[in-house]
Amino acid sequence: VILSIVPVLLITLLIGARGVAAMRTTSDFLVASRRISPTVNAAAVSGEYLSAASFLGVAGLVVKDGVGALWYPVGFAAGYLAMLALVAAPMRRTGALTVPDFAEARLGSSALRKLSAAVVLVIGFLYLVPQFTAAGQVLAVVSGSPYWVGVVIAGAAVSITLALGGMRAATYVQAFQFVLKLALFIVPAIWLVLQVSPDTRRAALAPVEFTRFDSVTPVQFRLDTDLTIREPTPVAVDGQPQRELPPGEYEVDAGETWVFGAGAAVPEVGAGPLGGADWARPVLDAAGHPVLATWSVLVATVLGTMGLPHILIRFHTSPDGRGARRTAAITVALLSVFYLFPAIYGLLGAVLLPELYLSGATDTVVVALPARVDEGWAGTMFTALLTAGAFAAFLATSLGLLLAVSGALSHDLVPSTLRRLRFTPIVAALGVVLLALPSARIDVGVLVTSAFAVAASTFCPLLVLGIWWPRLTAHGAIVGMVTGLLASAGVIGVDLFLGSPPGLAAILLGQPALWSVPLAFATMVVVSLRGRPPAWASAAMLRLHLDETEPKQR
Amino acid sequence: MRQQRRVAVTSPQTRLALAGRRTGTPAAPPHLAPADAERARRIHHRQLRFALTVLGLLATLLLGLPLLLAGTPVLDTVRLAGIPVSWLAVAVLPYPLLVLLAHWQLRRAERTERGDREPGA
Repeated sequence: VILSIVPVLLITLLIGARGVAAMRTTSDFLVASRRISPTVNAAAVSGEYLSAASFLGVAGLVVKDGVGALWYPVGFAAGYLAMLALVAAPMRRTGALTVPDFAEARLGSSALRKLSAAVVLVIGFLYLVPQFTAAGQVLAVVSGSPYWVGVVIAGAAVSITLALGGMRAATYVQAFQFVLKLALFIVPAIWLVLQVSPDTRRAALAPVEFTRFDSVTPVQFRLDTDLTIREPTPVAVDGQPQRELPPGEYEVDAGETWVFGAGAAVPEVGAGPLGGADWARPVLDAAGHPVLATWSVLVATVLGTMGLPHILIRFHTSPDGRGARRTAAITVALLSVFYLFPAIYGLLGAVLLPELYLSGATDTVVVALPARVDEGWAGTMFTALLTAGAFAAFLATSLGLLLAVSGALSHDLVPSTLRRLRFTPIVAALGVVLLALPSARIDVGVLVTSAFAVAASTFCPLLVLGIWWPRLTAHGAIVGMVTGLLASAGVIGVDLFLGSPPGLAAILLGQPALWSVPLAFATMVVVSLRGRPPAWASAAMLRLHLDETEPKQR
Repeated sequence: MRQQRRVAVTSPQTRLALAGRRTGTPAAPPHLAPADAERARRIHHRQLRFALTVLGLLATLLLGLPLLLAGTPVLDTVRLAGIPVSWLAVAVLPYPLLVLLAHWQLRRAERTERGDREPGA
């Protein structure tokens, strides 16, 4: 099954090499870059965007948190509508490749440029760590290796690909990656739906609470877990003969395998029961504050998309602002097709693999499903296909992000020579691996949403006000971004390291976007109004709204 | 094939941005001819108004739907082809609406730019 990853790498490299070989002369290159249609470009944007969080994380969250988790992909797709309306065309017209570039081009402040680069680092790491975590978990499931081996292999694969020259440059490579991921996600989904029994299909649509094991079920715990057993339960721990455990609290170490007897009661873990009434409600946090929790995720994902460092660069392949706008519009449609399918994996997973919810490995539900449905060659083949797709998702996003992060490091923060630039991605990858090792417990989808929340509270106000409001000053932008950064990243950090308080505070701290984004906007506006923008600020903004086809008078 | 001299190929805007970066000083302060500035002001105004309309609709959809679903649990029991309607409302319904909104926004934004260039159109 591991071998399934190799073809993905090879085909990707091959297309990259062909793309480079086809462009020999300058005019070839010019024509090619003009000929890249918005559709191909949109596929490239989607290819870069569909990360492990989309491919694996959403379905995992459905198993864990319930149907409400399907709001995440809605936000992921809707982000491009906000981008289309507010950012795509003007951003392309600035000629700025990154947000730090934009900050300097529009407001002429190098302090703001440095601050933006620092924010790129924060977003990059928040987005990268869960990618590596997911890769580690998937490799652990398909090969049975420990979690850290998977993370290290993923880090090595990314570093080697980068050292070989990266495959990011070619738009066609990313466009191919999107088609590949789409096919590798949709075909197994359809096969799964057709393959499972009608009873399973019915059960998936009418979930009942997961209270009893139907058959003898081995659960391999991937994390240290606290179980509460309410009634005497027959269990065989790590291959020992089965015995009856009396009710009480049990601590399970990561790596242990508990085999529960048929008919045994399912022990309780921290979160609520799977498949209960709250699980089936199509809102997040159904038992607590469903509206606030769902809104918070939506605000973060919709407004955060425009600030993702690896996506903005992609729009530069469009020849002009109009092309960039078309690209964003087509991206909405392409992503909408993809995001129709995570629900299938999530719902089937909740019925067929409820024990994942005990073992803490819900993010692996997508790759674990085919083997459960069919134990023959077909199941193995589809596991291989899905693993390849997950790895493609991980690779595309990680490479783009690592380049964005190392660009910010070596270009904006530390003035450097090319030599250092070459090694920065490797160093950044190493840093991510070290951070990913202790974060096995964190859900891919949740951490990625934190990255969106930070982007929404910092870059979103900067870009939107910078493009649409002539009175924005550099000072206002700096104060607003620092406020947004502290309110989002700071609060999420406190929440991660100190544990979340119960109730309403958990939402306000864990998903702060609902209040941190308005706060950042307000700070930026108020501080800007107290200052005075330079005389050229109005022209700097207005020029972003003129389309390029009009011959300019010089 | 003969070796050709290598040339960096960039769009004019990119070249401008890169030039400013390389010298360490920002490129010359941007300026617009009065006619261009007037036209840009008009486009900016119209685009902003329309972008806010679309975003308002998006906000209504994305903030209103969870509110509706949280408030009406009865939708969980109504089924369409065996699937609870409330599930369809989050898993399927938003996407065609998003595509429609995107299409509309794109057409209007392009027409704003074009229409302003050809007076009377």
